[in-house]
Amino acid sequence: MIELKDISRYFSGVAAVRELNLTIDKGEFCVLVGTSGCGKSTTLRMINRLIEHSAGEIHIDGQPIRSFREEVLRRRIGYVIQSIGLFPHWTVARNIALVPRLLGWEPERIAARVDELMALLGMSHSRFADKYPRQLSGGQAQRVGVARALAADPDILLMDEPFGALDPLTRDGLQDELLALHSRLNKTFVFVTHDMDEALRLADRLVVMHEGRIRQQGRPIDLLREPADEFVESLLGGSDRGLKEAALTPVSARMRRESTPSSAPAIDADASLRDALSLMLWHRADALKVVEGKGSAKMLGTLSLTDVVAARAPTASGEEARP
Amino acid sequence: MTPSANPVLLSLLGGAALAWVTLASVSVAPNRIVPGTGHGALEVAGWPGLALSLLPVVAAAGLALKGGRRQLWLILVLVLAMLVGLPLWLALAAHSLVDPGLPGARLGVGAGIWAVLFLLLLSLLEVRTRLELSRWLGGMLLLIPLASLAGVLTATPWLDSLALRREFVTRSDAFVAAVGEHLALVGAAVGCGLVIGVFLAMLMRHWPRLRGPGFTLLNFLQTVPSLALFGLLLAPLAWLAAELPWLAELGVSGIGWAPALLALIGYSLLPMVRNTFVALDEVDPAVIDAARGMGMTSGQVFRQVRLPLALPVLLEGVRITTVQAIGLTAVAALIGAGGLGRFIFQGLGQAAMDLVLLGALPILVMALIADALLGALGEWLRPGALHD
Repeated sequence: MIELKDISRYFSGVAAVRELNLTIDKGEFCVLVGTSGCGKSTTLRMINRLIEHSAGEIHIDGQPIRSFREEVLRRRIGYVIQSIGLFPHWTVARNIALVPRLLGWEPERIAARVDELMALLGMSHSRFADKYPRQLSGGQAQRVGVARALAADPDILLMDEPFGALDPLTRDGLQDELLALHSRLNKTFVFVTHDMDEALRLADRLVVMHEGRIRQQGRPIDLLREPADEFVESLLGGSDRGLKEAALTPVSARMRRESTPSSAPAIDADASLRDALSLMLWHRADALKVVEGKGSAKMLGTLSLTDVVAARAPTASGEEARP
Repeated sequence: MTPSANPVLLSLLGGAALAWVTLASVSVAPNRIVPGTGHGALEVAGWPGLALSLLPVVAAAGLALKGGRRQLWLILVLVLAMLVGLPLWLALAAHSLVDPGLPGARLGVGAGIWAVLFLLLLSLLEVRTRLELSRWLGGMLLLIPLASLAGVLTATPWLDSLALRREFVTRSDAFVAAVGEHLALVGAAVGCGLVIGVFLAMLMRHWPRLRGPGFTLLNFLQTVPSLALFGLLLAPLAWLAAELPWLAELGVSGIGWAPALLALIGYSLLPMVRNTFVALDEVDPAVIDAARGMGMTSGQVFRQVRLPLALPVLLEGVRITTVQAIGLTAVAALIGAGGLGRFIFQGLGQAAMDLVLLGALPILVMALIADALLGALGEWLRPGALHD
């Protein structure tokens, strides 16, 4: 658990973060979102003391972070940044092994851990272990960046716009993998981004920041439904909010267990309502056949245009759920 | 790569052929002081010999006209063969032009041969680049013609009349000593410059306020002419030696190695400090941020990240400093510091150009070798360079 209590940070007299209170539960995926200069990166970097807080207290699992030596604290917290910052003079394997080496692990244990992490991030050991960072694509490099951050099995992973410099396709793929990693590893993720779609997609807890303060925090769907003020509303997409909400709701939450004419286009039950809407627009169809898994023939039910738009009055067993 | 004519090689080889035919291959003088008379390639070998000697150039030019990788390899072989042949050509000239009745007669290397040597080396460089051979391999290839020269000089009496050789034979001991002094001065100056330079650069990184005045001072030092700097050091060093006997016992005095070394260190500081400073400063801030964020101590960040990443640029400073010091040390001979400059100034005093060459050529060779070795080392140290 990470607790920030009345945290402020001044840079030469100007407050970048003011009296901020935030509690991030263990295993939560917390996303700090806001425009540039809102203090989100500063907040993140105060957690591993790359920036010292000027006032207030930060506790990790009940212990004030200043009770640890900086290096000791940071070795317990994974850290991923937008520019990745892999060491260009070290191979991929050596880069990943950084923190375990700093912690003085046995070489065999380090080697085993590197193998494990490369497998976890879907990088073939024989292809990548001995490569140098400049031989990697942006997406591959950031996978190594994430693997490096996870190397010593930290409870907390801090990520500062890690996918900001990647192309949309690569970013989508890595977001999926990150969600999968999160549900598998039971670690606390703190993620900073200015991309609202990314934030909505990843967050358990969404924290909207503006001018050094938290404007609103909560589940993405709650923020979409009930933005606290105009700023949050416009940041969340204004008139686009309907589509953003649809993107958060799975088809399975709205479908009816009825059979459809087989001529209707098929959609995966795990896809979002937004995808379903797009498919309807594309095929000029007002009903879709819901199937289990991509390309599967097993029909689960029907989703009609009425089901999609009558979102506020769910018909069947569907409950509002996060993807 | 589609084969096409290589204009660079064509002009280099064309130039070489032209210089070979029109310029004097050698000059022959009856003794050391009289200026020699030039003799062209025609006089050395006659028409058939001249035609024969032009054959490889023409062949190489023909291959260059055609282009292509296999042709480049053949050109490489031909250029090396020509370089190997140059000492033999000199031997032939000695045989046909130097009167055996005159024991003092000497053979000078003429403009033609220097020009051809230069152009052939450039051709070699071009071929090496086109074939993407490494610096190391390129350097190794040069050993073949050097071996030919050394072979002819040491194993045969053919080039006994070569002027440079005569100058060398009469002062071989002094030559060896001079090379030693030269290398010692350069080594000491670069070594001290490196230590002091890195130290100063780190001070400046730590205290930004030192940067402005520091670089101004070093820039100023660099602009003082070397002779003036030697002169300026004369009085204080003489005084120090008089005041502190142990310094005098070490050999410190107003003239000699001490002022030379100090001046050389002074000149080495600007390139050393500048390169070290830039090298340490230019390391990607994201990498440093990641290193700190991962939990490296500041010492670990410096030793494991900043320094290794800065090393190639730092080494560039060492390379510049070394090449510069090798040249400057020649001037240091004027204040009695020894070194190869001694022959240059003696030769100038006696109007004996061959003696000047005896000093200047080794300096040139040393500078080239230092440049190549340190350049290759820097290339090798570039991050991830080994695994391309």
